[in-house]
Amino acid sequence: MERNKHVGIGFRKDFAEEFLEGKDLTPAFLEVAPENWMEIGGYWKKVFNKVAEQYPIYSHGLSLSIGSPEELDWNFLKRVKSFLQEYKIKIYSEHLSYSKCDNAHLYDLLPIPFRWDAVKHISERIKSVQEFLERKIAIEIVSYYTPVAAEMSEVEFISSIVKEADCNLLLDVNNVYVNAFNHQYDAKDFIENLPLAKVEYIHMAGHEQVAQDLIIDTHGEPIIDPVYDLFDFTVRKLSNTVPVLLERDFNIPELKELQYELNRLENICKKAWHYEHILA
Amino acid sequence: MNTYLHNYTHTQQGRLANYCRTGELISIDGLTENRVHYYRDLVYNVVDDTLQSAFPLTFDLLSEDEWNEIVHYFFSTHKCRSNSIWKMPHEFYLFVDGNDLDIKKKYNFIEELLLFEWTEIEIYMMPDVQYPEFKSNGGWLSEIITVNPEHKILQLSWPVHLKNPGNITVDNKNEYYVLIFREKESGKVQFINLSVYFAWLIEKIEIEKKPLVKILKEAESLFGIEAKKLFENTIPFLEELNSKQFILGFRK
Ligand SMILES: [Fe+2]
Repeated sequence: MERNKHVGIGFRKDFAEEFLEGKDLTPAFLEVAPENWMEIGGYWKKVFNKVAEQYPIYSHGLSLSIGSPEELDWNFLKRVKSFLQEYKIKIYSEHLSYSKCDNAHLYDLLPIPFRWDAVKHISERIKSVQEFLERKIAIEIVSYYTPVAAEMSEVEFISSIVKEADCNLLLDVNNVYVNAFNHQYDAKDFIENLPLAKVEYIHMAGHEQVAQDLIIDTHGEPIIDPVYDLFDFTVRKLSNTVPVLLERDFNIPELKELQYELNRLENICKKAWHYEHILA
Repeated sequence: MNTYLHNYTHTQQGRLANYCRTGELISIDGLTENRVHYYRDLVYNVVDDTLQSAFPLTFDLLSEDEWNEIVHYFFSTHKCRSNSIWKMPHEFYLFVDGNDLDIKKKYNFIEELLLFEWTEIEIYMMPDVQYPEFKSNGGWLSEIITVNPEHKILQLSWPVHLKNPGNITVDNKNEYYVLIFREKESGKVQFINLSVYFAWLIEKIEIEKKPLVKILKEAESLFGIEAKKLFENTIPFLEELNSKQFILGFRK
């Protein structure tokens, strides 16, 4: 089967063989968290080397914690840099959140207070990281379940950082849908107010509604139709084609179901970006 | 530190992080109170799941309350430093090892059990070590034996690698050695129980890089065993280690 052109998927150990065979799943690229693949050896290093020969690898970090109050972890960044170089990884994305505070890692993504001092603080940190890595990074809009001491809107917070830091944006369409639902705003309005020219990468995923007014971003369900619609709306707004990732971390279905989702996303991209190609 | 972040914002962030670590919430401005528990649940579950899969034997050994108590105590008082979550269980082992805990009185071998379980992960995951050049055939006595460099030997006081941890009693306290290594091709981790003599021998072979005949001479006086008997015991064991891919062959 022919590879997808735009849509990739997260690399999973349990599908390593299928990725290498390239029959049942045909992602355009694979995404990994550097934290899980750097500085390892043995069996998984061999597998990863083979996979990286066959697919472009994009990366999505977990522990940079760009929103932390404390100093950046330069030693860690140095190791990330050599991992990115070793595998010629084009995109390094991270979450606009914090997963470490006062030097204690939490292994999950906490919401940053939407505040002006945080904008300034984080923008400076992103600039330092970009300078150090000698590349731009893409920061991801994360889902969140409660605001923390907010003094501005979420969209203003994100846009201000992207502008001030001159970084790229990882637009997770499902996260926008989840946040719009949980915090009662209009998802399309929100997307239109983002600096869309800075979008370098898109994430798509499923989620789970746990209460009448709350959705949790589980990556454990198929993508729902309204999120496909929002994706369609989004990609038509972009002036460039960008890679799109299907995220699925739990409750893994049969491969053909994942391939169906990859294809559905690919078709939306093809339709939306058709004119671009003609114009190009 | 040169930062634009105000103390106020830092404090609010710190309180949320602290809540996730301890489960104790100090008021945070603008919080949706009935939702914040999702963060604590997500964080705690990730940590708990990671420790359960890293230490399946320890998890089975402890009662549910004992397990929850130690995991909670660890995560709420220890600041995890590992960026890669798979390395975090090593910090859990060090935490148990370095603190005075009631659980260690009840299960006096628990640190060693944790160390044994962690070492299997460590050897499985560790970066590749350059293999020495070797040839497959040679003379056991006269040539220098080469061993798989991806290994560790643990010295233990309890047979955590030999017995179901639930069946270990005070009578089992003794001197044990276990060799843990990674097979080159498959990357699988194997462990082999060693006598004091073989633990000593492997270390000698590895460090001193002398022909076996010289090492056996030393062993004769050190262990008080006659050369012929030593020879008869040693060669079959080395052959076994060779077939298990721990001994690679002989120096080129
Ligand atoms: Fe995402």
